[in-house]
Amino acid sequence: MVPAATVPRLLGAGVWPRPLRPHLLQSATPGRARPGGRTLASAATPAVSEPEDSIDVSDKILSQPLKHSDFFNVKELFSVRSLFDARVHLGHKAGCRHRFMEPYIFGSRLGQDIIDLEQTAAHLQLALNFMAHVAYRKGIILFVGRNRQFSHLIETTARNCGEYAHTRYFKGGLLTNAPLLLGPMVRLPDLIIFLHTLNNVFEPHVAVRDAAKMHIPTVGVVDTNCNPCLITYPIPGNDDSPPSIHLFCRLFQTTINRAKQKRRQMEALYRLQGPEGLGARGQGLAASPSLGGTHSPPEGE
Amino acid sequence: MARSRLETVGSVFSRTRDLIRAGVLNEKPLWFDIYNAFPPLREPVFRRPRLRYGKAKAAIQDILYPEDRIRAKFYSAYGSGQKAFDLFNPNFKSTCQQFVEKYIELQKLGETDEEKLFVETGKALLAAGVILRRVEARTQKEGGHVSWESEPTGVKPQTVLEKNQPLQEVPQDQHLETSEEQPKGLSPP
Repeated sequence: MVPAATVPRLLGAGVWPRPLRPHLLQSATPGRARPGGRTLASAATPAVSEPEDSIDVSDKILSQPLKHSDFFNVKELFSVRSLFDARVHLGHKAGCRHRFMEPYIFGSRLGQDIIDLEQTAAHLQLALNFMAHVAYRKGIILFVGRNRQFSHLIETTARNCGEYAHTRYFKGGLLTNAPLLLGPMVRLPDLIIFLHTLNNVFEPHVAVRDAAKMHIPTVGVVDTNCNPCLITYPIPGNDDSPPSIHLFCRLFQTTINRAKQKRRQMEALYRLQGPEGLGARGQGLAASPSLGGTHSPPEGE
Repeated sequence: MARSRLETVGSVFSRTRDLIRAGVLNEKPLWFDIYNAFPPLREPVFRRPRLRYGKAKAAIQDILYPEDRIRAKFYSAYGSGQKAFDLFNPNFKSTCQQFVEKYIELQKLGETDEEKLFVETGKALLAAGVILRRVEARTQKEGGHVSWESEPTGVKPQTVLEKNQPLQEVPQDQHLETSEEQPKGLSPP
């Protein structure tokens, strides 16, 4: 709705332009998807008299990645061994443990909680996949983290992805009272990523609760003293050691850049193929050479 | 855009889905299809954190290895290792770790008596490296204080004092006397 320049409070890179076109496309598809019924699957007949090609192409671009279980191949970005080397499994002492983190804890070694990396790997794969899809659909992503040691790193990560970051004092109504604080007609983030779920006084960050209020999904790194209830895609892991946070930032950055590159590739491909190539399936793309990208990541399935 | 700000009622997804079904929310949000296709392992519903009362305890096990027994004996006999732990090196082997590995090796050869194994391992390590001679000297010093060495309160001041012994003998003797008296009073009859 509003270009990045008129959003003063959110620290942004402005690399990724946000034209009005995708928002209009998204509003067009749900109208088609629900022809008066409860089915949310995409229907065949468009209600509006727009050129059929553009709708089908946009539909193909948006619906195709959802059919693969790992369209962006995020599994290859990490392994349990790499998580262990980055000290992601180290939690706080047993006295700091939060009750709801108990299912994610493997055990306690001499009083220090050790996080179960098998579960972390599963959660991380889901979270990265979700993040990639949101970035693919040109959603706004906001990185939040209140640990001062890593605030610069988080801001540079956001800049490198072309997304936004907020690592300073979070004002009360930033999400819930956005028209007043940020100006009228401001588009709120479509995904909030927490590198630290707690603020500087070890209480849950206000944005966790506010995102749940404003129907914004969240991805968050939850340590053993955090509450993972309200976070949509929690990633149980260490949020205090530098190697661990560096690993997470690197993973998030790679995933988002990969997703955006994929989107550029798909659009270019469909533009090239034109109206005759609308029947092309996902596997056809694997055979075609990569367009406009340095290297094409291996297709999902 | 219509929203219900009830974060304690259901998950973000259930509320959005129901608003769409009711016709209140007109456009599907960007993330809706993605959540539908790839839901999380646990639906993010709010739960009130309740404290545990009485004897209820968390079901988290302690992580202990059979080598921990050997490590406990090593540290009670020799104190903390002479070589500082180099945590930057992932393949680092401390004195204690070398001891434990030697012990297990000798155990596999057929020995069963723990005391014998302990002494054998000590000798084997002596033969292996130079650093271990100091280990032997420490056991001579601490041989008399083994009974109350194992108590956690007694260990720290003891090791600090012993290191400073060659430097300042007179005041340290007084300290030694007082610290000897305290643990003797604490040790069980």
